Amino acid sequence: MNGAFQTDCFEILKQRLARGEIGRRDFLKGIALLGVAPLALKSGMLSAQEKQFVLVNWGGDAIKAFDEAFAQPFAKASGLTVKIDGAGPTEGAIQAQVTSGKVSWDVVDADIFSAEALGKKGFVQKINFDVVKKDKILEGGWNDYAVANYYLSYVLVYDKEKYGDTPPKTWADFFDVEKFPGKRTMYKWMVGNLEAALLADGVAPDKLYPLDVDRAFKKIKAFSPNIAGFWGSGAESQQLMLEGEASMGLLWNTRAKLIDKDSEGKITYGFAEGFLGPSSWAIMKDNPAGAEAANAFIASAQDPAGQVKLLELLGNGPANPAAAAMVPAELKKDDCTQPEAVKVQHQLDQSWYVENYSATLDKFLALISS
Amino acid sequence: MSRRALVEWGLFVAPLPVVLVIAYLVPLLGIFQWSFTDPQPGIGNYVKIATDPIIHSIAWRTLRICLLVTVVSVAIAYLISYHWVFGPPWRQRLIEVCVLIPFWISVLIRAFGWVIVLRPRGLVNEWLMTAGLIAEPLALVRNEIGVVIGMVHFMVPFAIFPLMAVMRQIDPRVMAAARGLGAWPIRRFVEVFLPLSLPGIVGAFFIVFIFALGFFITPAILGGGRVVMIAEYVFLQMSQTANWGLGAALSVVLLVFVSIMIWVLLKITRVEKLVG
Repeated sequence: MNGAFQTDCFEILKQRLARGEIGRRDFLKGIALLGVAPLALKSGMLSAQEKQFVLVNWGGDAIKAFDEAFAQPFAKASGLTVKIDGAGPTEGAIQAQVTSGKVSWDVVDADIFSAEALGKKGFVQKINFDVVKKDKILEGGWNDYAVANYYLSYVLVYDKEKYGDTPPKTWADFFDVEKFPGKRTMYKWMVGNLEAALLADGVAPDKLYPLDVDRAFKKIKAFSPNIAGFWGSGAESQQLMLEGEASMGLLWNTRAKLIDKDSEGKITYGFAEGFLGPSSWAIMKDNPAGAEAANAFIASAQDPAGQVKLLELLGNGPANPAAAAMVPAELKKDDCTQPEAVKVQHQLDQSWYVENYSATLDKFLALISS
Repeated sequence: MSRRALVEWGLFVAPLPVVLVIAYLVPLLGIFQWSFTDPQPGIGNYVKIATDPIIHSIAWRTLRICLLVTVVSVAIAYLISYHWVFGPPWRQRLIEVCVLIPFWISVLIRAFGWVIVLRPRGLVNEWLMTAGLIAEPLALVRNEIGVVIGMVHFMVPFAIFPLMAVMRQIDPRVMAAARGLGAWPIRRFVEVFLPLSLPGIVGAFFIVFIFALGFFITPAILGGGRVVMIAEYVFLQMSQTANWGLGAALSVVLLVFVSIMIWVLLKITRVEKLVG
């Protein structure tokens, strides 16, 4: 088929629409089927409303939650159609899109250290901080290439029934199987584990970074027989705890909240000694909707109302400090960015992860592999 | 070539090689190229593979697990194939169902299924504890044992098919002749049946081993994070840490290794025998 025929089909559709023989929905369907959207755009037949903006996250329940919290408000404000793709923007996938020259994603949800590493390699764009406001982000929640979209915490989850009146409170307790018998579970992709091991080994919180990797590895290796399994996905961590395979775990606070609910409080958690860090928005290099739309989206996602909505739906902590006061009372205990919660947690040092994540993860996996 | 033959060749034979070249060979050359160009031009990635102790330990673990899985799978498959070929019809039908139904179930679902069966409060441990055979649950999953069980379960059908094909070709009159000449069952098996079925064993061994080398989902789910095999390590380099050059170089090494094994297989057995 050559372009002339497609152009003609497009003309026919246009005429039929003008005469009222077909509705606008059928017209759009027709253009999509013909693959002539660029023509339609050029002719001004497609209003901004039909232009697409693609937001990429990690799938599952987060698709619906992101839609409500971020996509719908932005769609309403900008007139763009916002589509959420749950494909999972791994570093490899981002690099693959940009390298192939066929970028179809606009803004992705990525680890903030990952976004910075990708930015330095030229795969994501710099954020325009004239549009995106730094005073709407918690301290430390941005770098040149990324802006915190929500916070999460690696928390200590434990079986209340098993430990009764003396629940474990610190990472030292976590590593102490004499006082707190039972199996544990930790995170397969490393973040939080080394910090927990070092704190348990007696390193002062303010002396954590740069991480003494060898010391942490030694601690974890010695502890390894007490670990029922290293969880690789949130669902797996939930299974390990609810099935009783592990009676203590280093878990994401979002899953911890679900476990608490599903076990009716039998398995619970607190933010004390949690490791707090942001996830972030990053803009793909040469994104199809353009840098302006992408920055506008990020600015719109700074609205605290949307962030509180996300907290309600998934349990992710708002990144805008103004949100804390707007959080309804019953949700406050789930919010890792409430000022009281922030005070008792440790901040993950993102700059350490930018430099060291990939090489250390390699070694960590070798270490835990029996 | 006649015009007709040319048309036939073009219509029915050529599409396959063309698809293979476009969908397989071209991307493969890309992988090959990356392995020498990313992150810097040169043989750095191969030097790393040759010298890095992390990669060596993962490679050895992969080989060890694959070898164990292969031996166990072929042994089980040998018994099943024997009964499938020589058993009474009701047994043949029963085996057919027991082999084919799991064969059609996805590897992901089977892995999760095994977690449910093998975990501390799973079926196996509950039974053993109720029967009073054990006091504490056995660690059957989230370790190498779990990975081996899951992989063997997946691999057995792949070993059965070549074994069956070869066993079916064994002339029952040869066995009858051995009995007629006074050989006891064990001698009949060791001296007559086993040597005749040897091509099937060799074929099954190679097929299972080569297949097992690329296993990814089963170790990731049943290994509890502790059993990282080479395929998952390649995935990690490609996706998680974006070291494409190293991932590509590992793939090339794996491909060369597997190609050599296939070449050996072709040298020592006649493949048409294996497919029956």
